[in-house]
Amino acid sequence: MAVAALHPGGIAEHIHPEPQGFVRRYVFSLDHKIIGIQYIITAFVFFMLSGLLAEAIRTQLLNPNGGFVAPGTYNEVYSVHGSAMVWLVIIPLLTGGFGNLVFPLQIGARDVAFPWLNMLSFWIFPVAGLMLFSSFLMGAPTAGWMEYPPISLQGAAGTSMWCAAIFLVGVSSTITGINFVVTILKMRAPGMTFTRMPLFVWGQFATAPLLMIATTALAAALAALFIERQFGVPFFDPTKGGSPVMWQHMFWFYSHPAVYIMILPAFGIISEVLPTFARKPVFGYKLIAFSSMAIALLGFMVWAHHMFTSGLAPFLQLPFMILTYIIGVPTGIKIFSWTATLFGGKIHYSTAMLFAIGFIGLFTIGGITGIFLAAIPFDLHVHGTYFIVAHLHYVLVGGSLMGVFAGMYYWFPKMSGRLLNETLGKIHFWLFFIGFNCTFLPMHWLGMLGMPREVATYDPQFTFWNRFESVSSYLMTFAILIFFVNVLWSIRNGRRSGPNPWGARTLEWQIPSPPHYYNFKHVPTVYGLPYDFSQPLPYKGLEEELTDSPPVAAGAH
Amino acid sequence: MVEKTAQPARLGRGFWVVTAVLAALAIAAIVFCYVFPLERYLPAAIVTARQVDELIRFMSATGSALYIFVAGYLVYFAIAFRAKASDAPDAIGVQIHDNRKLEFWWTVIPLLFVLVLSIVSVRIWYEILLEPENGLVVEAIGHQFYFSFRYPQINGEVTDEMHVPLNVPVTLNLTSADVIHGFWVPAMRLKNDTVPGLVTTIRFTPRLAGRYPIICTQFCGVEHSEMDKQVLVIEDKASFDRWYKGWQQKNAHVSNALPGAAGQAIPLQGGDVAAGKALFSQKCTACHKVAPFNQTLVGPGLEAVLHDPAHPDLVNGKAANPADVASILENGYTGSMGAMPSASSNGLSPQDLANLVAFLNTLK
Repeated sequence: MAVAALHPGGIAEHIHPEPQGFVRRYVFSLDHKIIGIQYIITAFVFFMLSGLLAEAIRTQLLNPNGGFVAPGTYNEVYSVHGSAMVWLVIIPLLTGGFGNLVFPLQIGARDVAFPWLNMLSFWIFPVAGLMLFSSFLMGAPTAGWMEYPPISLQGAAGTSMWCAAIFLVGVSSTITGINFVVTILKMRAPGMTFTRMPLFVWGQFATAPLLMIATTALAAALAALFIERQFGVPFFDPTKGGSPVMWQHMFWFYSHPAVYIMILPAFGIISEVLPTFARKPVFGYKLIAFSSMAIALLGFMVWAHHMFTSGLAPFLQLPFMILTYIIGVPTGIKIFSWTATLFGGKIHYSTAMLFAIGFIGLFTIGGITGIFLAAIPFDLHVHGTYFIVAHLHYVLVGGSLMGVFAGMYYWFPKMSGRLLNETLGKIHFWLFFIGFNCTFLPMHWLGMLGMPREVATYDPQFTFWNRFESVSSYLMTFAILIFFVNVLWSIRNGRRSGPNPWGARTLEWQIPSPPHYYNFKHVPTVYGLPYDFSQPLPYKGLEEELTDSPPVAAGAH
Repeated sequence: MVEKTAQPARLGRGFWVVTAVLAALAIAAIVFCYVFPLERYLPAAIVTARQVDELIRFMSATGSALYIFVAGYLVYFAIAFRAKASDAPDAIGVQIHDNRKLEFWWTVIPLLFVLVLSIVSVRIWYEILLEPENGLVVEAIGHQFYFSFRYPQINGEVTDEMHVPLNVPVTLNLTSADVIHGFWVPAMRLKNDTVPGLVTTIRFTPRLAGRYPIICTQFCGVEHSEMDKQVLVIEDKASFDRWYKGWQQKNAHVSNALPGAAGQAIPLQGGDVAAGKALFSQKCTACHKVAPFNQTLVGPGLEAVLHDPAHPDLVNGKAANPADVASILENGYTGSMGAMPSASSNGLSPQDLANLVAFLNTLK
């Protein structure tokens, strides 16, 4: 079946036969859908491990004197928790996972541009993840996910392992970014213009350049830290002529854009789920799409707002404060547009929709406290306190992770051909929503009243709220256990979904669940935006998708 | 065919009732923020703390009002527009794509708000920056795992508490002897990192007597959690003077110089000026110029370092003499001018030290 033809995008296309062996199909697969699922499974395994670390943190903080683990161990626990959640869970889930799985289908492509690179980027990821967790065997890093030198220069051997592991995940991210940019630019189906792309594709399109460009700054910083630790070249040690603040610049030049790597794809997921279940177009399509690009661009210009206490010159701090305020404008536009999308809808409450609406409610809190933190005088008070911990968890759990769950309930049928159980899903949502707020909301005032972050013991005046948070965090963990039970049960026993259980209108729902190896029998032609429910579907060439006919290479009509 | 399209959505009576309820809630939240300011729970020990509280009130009032509207409409729409059992299974919502007017206003109003917030926060930030410079100068040095304090007329370091008098402006220079620490006094609403090799400055005027915890906010090692035991004491001038005198007497015999290797004097005989000059251009010129004191590269200009009537003292407070210059070269020094590496990290032998001091002594 190796038919060669010219893709309308100018690329000669082949339809390769589907590989038959188990290893080629499910282990070293070149299929973007399988790779996406591999990413999701691997990331959820790391999610369970770092979730256990989170519970160790909360168990330690049940008592002001700690006592669950030794302070040194505690420092290792929260450092690996933070690093793993950022680099091994949220970023892989949203880019390599859902990105790979969904957006090539949504633009009518048969795979990503570079399937071999895609396989490489996946296989680097579990190796790097195991390296990060193996650092516990040689003394894990202790200075948090930021690993500021000089303290990280004093860390045990595991800190060097941490550098190597994060460097590798970064390589994997960079490759994924390149792959996604080329795929979106060159492999859209005929008629899929930029202003007809689904918003999830826009989310990935805004994210991929961040993966490509920002991650290289992190790689340089990690290489320098590794070299300094192992070979003594003084990049950061001030007693030998290095600059510790330089690390902070390089780290945050990556890690602030990384915040958007972790949220823009989730914005995309929400922008797909809301119109599908409200049965109406997303409000203000163009502004939502362009605001993602504006956020990605501005995201490169605000890194030093993480460094207001590091001794920068005042006139240097000012633009970072104002530019950060300005990021609130495109973000606000999105929140207002999603809220307006519900207006006049016929809202169906699937679990995915509950998570999407919950996302808006929780992410908005994280967004507003983000504006607070950009105000230098306020930041000088709460920098390095539990207020920061609250803010970042509202953005990364209330935002990114809620988006991941919305995506899981929404696209699980596309992965498996079966629906997740909705009753368990709704129990999961409500327990998680309540547990999350009770865990992280009190941290705002703990931070304002004087509780610093990254501490193994704390002032006894904060005991009540810390216990309240710890108990609530167990509720969250219980909710997540329900989710895992739901997934494991539904893979075998879930109701069969058929191609389009939600009545959704983007391209991935017009083909079987799970899709064929080559995705589309004929590459479809696109005539408009997917979101207008009063119109017929804006696609041509999909008539044979649900029949038994063989696939045809693009151009060979 | 079943009628699929819903009735055109209009802003009915329910919408305005909800808007009125949300407005009432928003006003209640704003009142709450002003009736229960942070100062009720955490004393505002310095003058600018009250200004920071003012910013917190402004931001939490506007932020919570905004949130009440967003979350309120979200919940209202989510309930009001849910699909009902009586709807046809394929019923769809009103196909609204956008509304230019609405989008214009919810772009412009946040931009205006950004402008207002910028003005408010820049004003308060400038009040923090523009605290008087001519007050008491104190130096706080972060260590694993405590802060030490240096005062102008007290020899050596004060290691238990930091004392400042009421209503007298304070200039606090912060640096670190090892890793980065954070110097935070919650009651001051102010913090700054202590960065090795860098001196950062905060200025404040104490307004409320009391004992306030000093807390480290940058992870600094295994005992980081315990680095919250020291206090800032703000007290009246008389008590402060008593405390100050006490430390002056207690530390009268403490040397300001940092301890040399095993406390031994460094032999300076036989220094070779030419070799010292060559070594200087090789090892020192990355940070020091042979130029007047104020021509700083990283460290100060060293022209006439041993013979400068305008700067008779070295950075460590000792009168400039060859032995103390050698002591700084040997041990390095971290203080108000940055961090000077030690002889071992500069790769200097004892003979090198003698040569360098001989060369520096010729600069006049």
